[in-house]
Amino acid sequence: MRRRLNLILALAVKDWCQFLADKRGAALAFVVPVVLASAFGLIFARPADKTAVKLPLLVVIEDDGPFTRGVAERFAASERVEAEVVTRADAERRIADRRPGVAVVFPAGFERLKDWKPGSAADRPAVQVLHNPLCGSEGQWAAGLVSEAVMRKLADDKLTPLVGDAGLAMPFDVHTAEAAGSHAGFNAYAHSFSGMTLQYLLFWGMESGLLLLRDRQRSVWARMRAAPVPLGCVLLGKALSTAVIAFLIVGVTFGFGYLAFGVKVDGSVAGFVLLAVAASGLAAATGLLVAAVGGTEARARSVCILVILGVSMLGGLWLPAFVLPGWARDLSLALPTTWAMRGLDAVTWQGRGFWAVLPSVAVVAGFTAVFLTLAVARLVSSEARRRRGLA
Amino acid sequence: MARGPALSLSNVRVRYGDHLALDRLSVDVDRGEIVALLGPNGSGKSTTLAVAAGILDPVEGTVVAGGIRRQADPAGYAAQVGLVPQEPAVYDELTAEANLLFFGRLYGLGGYDLRCRVAVALDRVGLTARGQERVNTYSGGMKQRVNLAAALLHDPPLLLLDEPTASLDPKSRDALFADLHRLRDAGHAVLLTTHHLDEAETGCDRIVVLDRGRVAADGRPSDLVRYHSSGRAVLYGHLREPLPHFFVKGLRRRLGSTVEVEVTGRRLRLAADTQEHLGRALALVLTDGIVLDTFRTPPGRLESLLRNPTSEPQDAPTVS
Repeated sequence: MRRRLNLILALAVKDWCQFLADKRGAALAFVVPVVLASAFGLIFARPADKTAVKLPLLVVIEDDGPFTRGVAERFAASERVEAEVVTRADAERRIADRRPGVAVVFPAGFERLKDWKPGSAADRPAVQVLHNPLCGSEGQWAAGLVSEAVMRKLADDKLTPLVGDAGLAMPFDVHTAEAAGSHAGFNAYAHSFSGMTLQYLLFWGMESGLLLLRDRQRSVWARMRAAPVPLGCVLLGKALSTAVIAFLIVGVTFGFGYLAFGVKVDGSVAGFVLLAVAASGLAAATGLLVAAVGGTEARARSVCILVILGVSMLGGLWLPAFVLPGWARDLSLALPTTWAMRGLDAVTWQGRGFWAVLPSVAVVAGFTAVFLTLAVARLVSSEARRRRGLA
Repeated sequence: MARGPALSLSNVRVRYGDHLALDRLSVDVDRGEIVALLGPNGSGKSTTLAVAAGILDPVEGTVVAGGIRRQADPAGYAAQVGLVPQEPAVYDELTAEANLLFFGRLYGLGGYDLRCRVAVALDRVGLTARGQERVNTYSGGMKQRVNLAAALLHDPPLLLLDEPTASLDPKSRDALFADLHRLRDAGHAVLLTTHHLDEAETGCDRIVVLDRGRVAADGRPSDLVRYHSSGRAVLYGHLREPLPHFFVKGLRRRLGSTVEVEVTGRRLRLAADTQEHLGRALALVLTDGIVLDTFRTPPGRLESLLRNPTSEPQDAPTVS
């Protein structure tokens, strides 16, 4: 047993020496996830001062009536939109280019609304909302805003004479607040650092697996096979070296996130460490799986990139999973990245405790065990076939 | 001290799918001798070496090194064997010393003992001064020396080398054989594969000629040469620069059917029916501007044996 542990350690130390031999390459392994996470955080971070976000849109006024002009001007002057009045032709051209992606059109005939009486249902003029195919959400947002503006104008014109100014005030208040657990320390960078670190760990695992794949095609593998070293030790040595470097990558990336962007572990530190260990193990197991089923290096690399990008996107590593369609959200529950991301979100900005992160740790560790088992079984079988001259 | 031969392969059969690569092959290698496995491509040389190294299991037969059966005690067997693959089996990005420390640990060595062995191994292959440099800064010959040193760390009684001179210049090749002769004199057994008759004839104590997975001949070079001498004149040369393929084709055309031309990397072999034809061929080669660093015509020839091993009589010499 001790000899096996020594062998595993010797194999891991060799890998670490190889990793550090290329100092620039080693440095990049830590710099790349930091750069990716910072860039994503910068792009998707909310404004720090939390001022109201204005919806950029175009306003087209095709009816010259005073009621229509009043509604349109009031709408355009709202604090909640950043509006520009243009012609319909201009609006259609600019929407196609998403400059911006949505327009509100007050068409000819809209003026009829000035004769509306409470209780009448006939002859309803329309407001048109045009949007770029990629801007459906902004279109719905604009529809809500313009509805509110029109109803306010109608209320002012039709109801004020009946009830007086006091009766038209909003009879309730709307308060908005972040609900992120007891600590509520949301930091947009926390999500990007968690997501990009996890994604990079998978790429690191892939690189490690490709290195093993390459070694297996070199004469150095013949020397290893001739030595009194069980294959299991070789694979565990590779897994150990990959996982330890992955764990260091997590540490360095989150350390930078803390210093530069205030990304903190507001929840359980033990949970965070446990999850980092599980994710590092997942990276190592992914690497071995790549080496086991990869075939050629070029084939393995292509398939791996596709899979890693797919599970990163579906797992919510790039953007929060709620932006995905329902079927994709359901599918993502079968991916380890989803659970790892949930766990990291929980212990970072959501400030959750140890027990809240445990399901994530269990799922990621489970995937690691399955991947490791599959990889070892496949590699042992492949070596046995090779030894019998069948491969 | 283990008794019996350093390596004993008995009735070994190896299959690659439907192809029978070794067919009841039996070869022994004793301590203190260098044995060359010789044969055309596909004859089973590398397969024999892989079986002896313990990295390929035969479907039948027994493989024993230093009295230890491979099948019964794989780890004990592995300790008896040092493998030197054809391509340098070391990590380019590590220093020679780091490589040797790593491979030593694979054999259970460690601590002061391992450091001493590494120092001795580096000294033995003349790399003490450059042991701290990365292998990717070494020449081909130096890499091959590290390759050899890595196989010797655990002091195996049996050394297996797969075409060890394939990428070496004449000087490095001579140095390697000098190392092998020293190891033989120290009691090690050496089994190597080669395509080069001259190496086998001059550098080895015994030659085993393989053909289609069987032993076609087995004996001391002088006996085999005497027995198999065909009268053909042969010249082995080492080219200063590799020759382009079209140049070799042109040379063959001009030399005609009386002379065989074979170029492998920077090695040139000319074979002709008579010394006169060979002399003319050499003159033509030199007037074509081809520069030979060295060339020689070996005293004896196994050409006919290697060309057509199965045509040999059944009473060909065996180990003497």
